[in-house]
Amino acid sequence: MSAVLKPRSRVVVCDANEAAAWGVALSRVDMVAVYPITPQSSLVEFLAKFIVDGTLSAELVDVEGEHSVMSVLQGAALAGARTYTATSGPGLAFMFEPYLRAPGLRLPLVMSIVTRDTLTPQCVWGGHQDAMSVREVGWIQIYCESAQEVLDTVIMAYRIAEHPEVMLPVNVCHDGNYLSFAVSRVELPAQDAVDAFLGDKDVNWHAALDPDRPMAVDPLTGGSGGAGPRTFTRYRQGHCNGMQRALEVISEVHEDWEKHVGRRFAPLVEAYRMDGAEHALVTIGSMTGAAKDAIDEARARGEKVGLVKVKTYRPFPGATVIGALDGVKAIGVVDRSVSFGWNCGPVYQDVMTSLALARSAVPALSFIGGLAGADLTIGHFHRAIGEVAAVARGKAEPGRTLWLNEAD
Amino acid sequence: MGAYSTISFDAPKCDGCNDCMLACAQAKSGTDEIARSRIEVLKSNGSFELAMCRQCGDPRCVQNCPAAALEKNDATGVIDWDETKCVDCLLCTVGCTYAGIAYDRAAGHVTKCDLCDGDPACVKACKPGALRYVTTARIYNEVGQLEDLFAPGLSGCQGCNTELLMRHTLRRVGPDTVLATPPGCVPGMGSVGYNGQTGTKVPVFHPLLTNTASMLAGVRRFYKRKGRDVTAMALAGDGGTADVGFQSLSGAAERGEEILYITVDNEGYMNTGMQRSGCTPYGAWTSTTPVGERGQGKTQDAKNMPLVMMMHNCAYVATASTGFMEDLYEKLDRAIAASKRGFAYLHVYSPCTTGWRFPSQQNIEVARKAVETNFVVLWEFDPKNGVRLTRPVDHPLPLAEYVTMMGKFRHLSGEQLEHIQASVDKHAAFISRLAGERDAQMIRHLAANRTAA
Repeated sequence: MSAVLKPRSRVVVCDANEAAAWGVALSRVDMVAVYPITPQSSLVEFLAKFIVDGTLSAELVDVEGEHSVMSVLQGAALAGARTYTATSGPGLAFMFEPYLRAPGLRLPLVMSIVTRDTLTPQCVWGGHQDAMSVREVGWIQIYCESAQEVLDTVIMAYRIAEHPEVMLPVNVCHDGNYLSFAVSRVELPAQDAVDAFLGDKDVNWHAALDPDRPMAVDPLTGGSGGAGPRTFTRYRQGHCNGMQRALEVISEVHEDWEKHVGRRFAPLVEAYRMDGAEHALVTIGSMTGAAKDAIDEARARGEKVGLVKVKTYRPFPGATVIGALDGVKAIGVVDRSVSFGWNCGPVYQDVMTSLALARSAVPALSFIGGLAGADLTIGHFHRAIGEVAAVARGKAEPGRTLWLNEAD
Repeated sequence: MGAYSTISFDAPKCDGCNDCMLACAQAKSGTDEIARSRIEVLKSNGSFELAMCRQCGDPRCVQNCPAAALEKNDATGVIDWDETKCVDCLLCTVGCTYAGIAYDRAAGHVTKCDLCDGDPACVKACKPGALRYVTTARIYNEVGQLEDLFAPGLSGCQGCNTELLMRHTLRRVGPDTVLATPPGCVPGMGSVGYNGQTGTKVPVFHPLLTNTASMLAGVRRFYKRKGRDVTAMALAGDGGTADVGFQSLSGAAERGEEILYITVDNEGYMNTGMQRSGCTPYGAWTSTTPVGERGQGKTQDAKNMPLVMMMHNCAYVATASTGFMEDLYEKLDRAIAASKRGFAYLHVYSPCTTGWRFPSQQNIEVARKAVETNFVVLWEFDPKNGVRLTRPVDHPLPLAEYVTMMGKFRHLSGEQLEHIQASVDKHAAFISRLAGERDAQMIRHLAANRTAA
């Protein structure tokens, strides 16, 4: 991550909630709808403050719940607005009904999920279960590792969402607690650089509620045959095509961001110390920092181990993941959430599917940790590396899912 | 051609006193001989019928006249008779089915009603109020030229009151509108269309049943920010308003979002198969409050949405009925104006021929009877003037006259009817009290008390 500071960019020390708010302000959104929820609250407080003190010229809508947050923004987006909001855990659950609808309407919304484990057991702490629970409903999901990546990705998310061949809403996910409240050094890109990167805002192509060009938005479709189900099927196919096109667009946008701002993040998947790796961990989100430290220490011991971080999770960049893992003899996937019914983590499931599609028989293990705020330390990752190494050396078979914090 | 004012006759109110005939004879023939009146009230099977010129739009008398002595006056709507052209053939009297033109032996020629230049003597003389000079046609004259912004051929039930309401309201609101029609009868009959064909000529969408007010808030806020005056309008059912959509509605009203929110209250989920909603009245049969050995319809009173909205201190709140279109149009105009400065809520009672089980041609009759029995009270509210009764009913008809019109109350016991009558009386008294104690008076009163203390 080489920092090439452009004129008038600034350096601040802030947490990822504030970093996301800066990303929103720099993206010059038209409307922000907010409802507070732990651990997202400070993010929307920053935005309210930005709007009130003039840092951001946008309409602030303080609504009575997340369901209306998503609804107000859909109305605004259908009228042509660039919008933003953020939520967590129960808030995401409450907004589910309109949330489910946004991608079908092809609305280029950007929303941060400040991830939180889902109830019950009652819990206000971080975990990916909220975001993972909505992984199959048609939003693009991107997981960040650092506050800087959060800021940059929020801005890039508008380019991705508004791309005419994508036109899909984007969730930029950052871990509750570990990213939302942990401060670090963050560079604010210059406004003119962001303006040049985002270009003129024109988000009103597909479906619009505009008296100047009246149309019926979302007429009834479906039925047992004929035009109804054909129309519905075409919408679904178009949605899937947009998702697949997004894999390329996300990469292009990251390249363009580097050109404008001078910072580069791996767009889909980051391969870390994978040169000559015999086994590897797959991680997602903020846990990756501790995992990289563990990899560094293992490499220092002479162990040929590397790491693959998944940044773009939906659409799932299966081929890129498998490409990054090429040559390893065993894989360990660490999830901060659970796939009920499969008794493993959801990222593990996706990696297994990708391996199958690549006709690969490399054994893989599922690790689950970091639930409900539990710390995933370098020690936990050393344990994971050890388990994977044993499989790689043929000394063990991948068996049951391993719960990294069960003995903490 | 527009429509015109006319004299209407409400037979049940007529007591057969013949004062109208006397007044007409005096005014038009200068005599007390009622036989020379141009209006005649006839007793028929215990009721009364009216023989009088209806000033028809397509008059047979005019067609029959070989001398062009009769002519529909485009300006007044009156069918004028020209003495200088009349050849006394009486063919006109043969053509008229209303006995509206007849030979006056004393005068020696035909006579007919000319509406007394807009101030009919018979109407003034009618003490029971059976005759009224009806100016409702004013609405047609005012809005008849406005475009109906729904496509023809919406698939509502026969005699659907909601379709009537939709066409009237949107035509008035006009084309610079974004219309939300949440799931229910309105999109069910095709407002948002099927498979890409739309039923509406303004931008229209299905919100969810739950988020009508908040989606519209986003639309309106963004257009206002862009400096465009677009009316954000909802045509929502009572279920989406009072039940599952209530949170977003309440939030938007509390925030003063600039929305024209019209509730079409047919007292249940009529589009989905007539299930109970929070607006279903006590005792009513619905498919989820069925009638049987252990149940006799809904066991709770309806949630009073317009009062709930009034307590949100909206810019405007009113109840309305398609049985009283003049009243509805006045309120609609005020609601449209209020929606440019805050939340405007119009609650329209909308009898449902299918779900309430009455013959489709009786829709307006049912709507009127609801008001005449005080089952529905027509009022309006704005924060400055408080509550005003727009059509007070001083002598309400017994509620039995309303509930017996429809199948959904067919099973009502005497006890249940008493319960509804008591609720209706209590509600009417409550609204009257609110209307009596205008805010301004009360604030002055309180201020005076403070000074005295």
